Amino acid sequence: MGGAMSEHADHLGTQGLQFFGKVSASISHELKNVLAVLNENAGLMEDLSFAAERGKAIAPEQLQRISGNFSRQIRRADAILKVMNRFAHSVDHSRARIDLTELTTLVATLAGRLAAMRNITLDVIPPAEDITWETNPFLLENLIWLSLEKVMACSEGGGAVRFRLAKEAGEVVLSITAPIQLPADLVTNLPAGQVQLLSALAARLVLGPTGSELEIRLGCRESPAVGEEATGGEGKKG
Amino acid sequence: MTARILLIDDETAFLEILAERMKARAMQVATASSAQEGLEKIAAGNFDVVVLDLRMPEVDGLQTLQTLKEKYPALEVILLTGHATVKESVAAIGLGALDILEKPADLDALTEKIQIAQAKKMLIVEQRAQARVKEIVVGKGW
Repeated sequence: MGGAMSEHADHLGTQGLQFFGKVSASISHELKNVLAVLNENAGLMEDLSFAAERGKAIAPEQLQRISGNFSRQIRRADAILKVMNRFAHSVDHSRARIDLTELTTLVATLAGRLAAMRNITLDVIPPAEDITWETNPFLLENLIWLSLEKVMACSEGGGAVRFRLAKEAGEVVLSITAPIQLPADLVTNLPAGQVQLLSALAARLVLGPTGSELEIRLGCRESPAVGEEATGGEGKKG
Repeated sequence: MTARILLIDDETAFLEILAERMKARAMQVATASSAQEGLEKIAAGNFDVVVLDLRMPEVDGLQTLQTLKEKYPALEVILLTGHATVKESVAAIGLGALDILEKPADLDALTEKIQIAQAKKMLIVEQRAQARVKEIVVGKGW
């Protein structure tokens, strides 16, 4: 019993660390790009001052352009770091009442660069009314991320992937709609870590009615605390 | 002779300024903001050196590198990237990349690599010309 619990925690922990690692790698790559742009602009200023030392006049527009570039990149880095900070704080509480649109938007923003690499755009369509849910924010982010990865892996030609939130018969449904039909086996034979993630969140993963939506159905009761067993997903433990 | 350089990077704000600085140093530079655009420009133009970002949308840098080296073996490719794992670096060198530089890179360091690339390309062209001359001489029995 204790061994099974420990294995359960190990799977969730390893999966969570992998998720954190992927997000961190993507963010650091984006920040490197920002630094590269700043570095070139600093270099350009140096080139201009070097030329000025030799009597060549610097046009004010050139300096305005460079300062505009600096400001844009600083704003960009600030936005990246804000998102990173919000993500980092999602592990602060193992249980919290969250706005699901905000949390979905955060995951979509974190995945934006990886989606763009596959020529995919991500849109979050907010529900008519705010939907809040008491759950483990980090585990839910991880589940959304893994589900999105599945959808993106199937969307080879690129296109738009849309997130929609709705309440249906006591469940909260987060649909991730792909630009193509998804294979039926997408929700079966899930790895053990994902089955446990679904269990920990009292969630199910199903295909939607048109076959192009992957639905995360958050259970009829709000998710239990981690470690407390709940109903599993549709996959098998493996 | 000045090297003809193509910069391929999806980060256009970076591309624009780097190209401007290189042109100010009397280098012949063109830019492409995607692998596809880069391949089209290489097919249409005549470049000696390509400076290529490793991570780009749609087709990544390693794939592009492989395509370039298959189609244009004499073309020298320098990778310029935010991060490269050891695995990626080994793969890139194995595919024929001249070197890998990490962003943010110093323009002097990049210029130095471009000069090495150009010298290497000229050596290959010269060796090929000599081999061709030898072939003709032997063929004609001179």
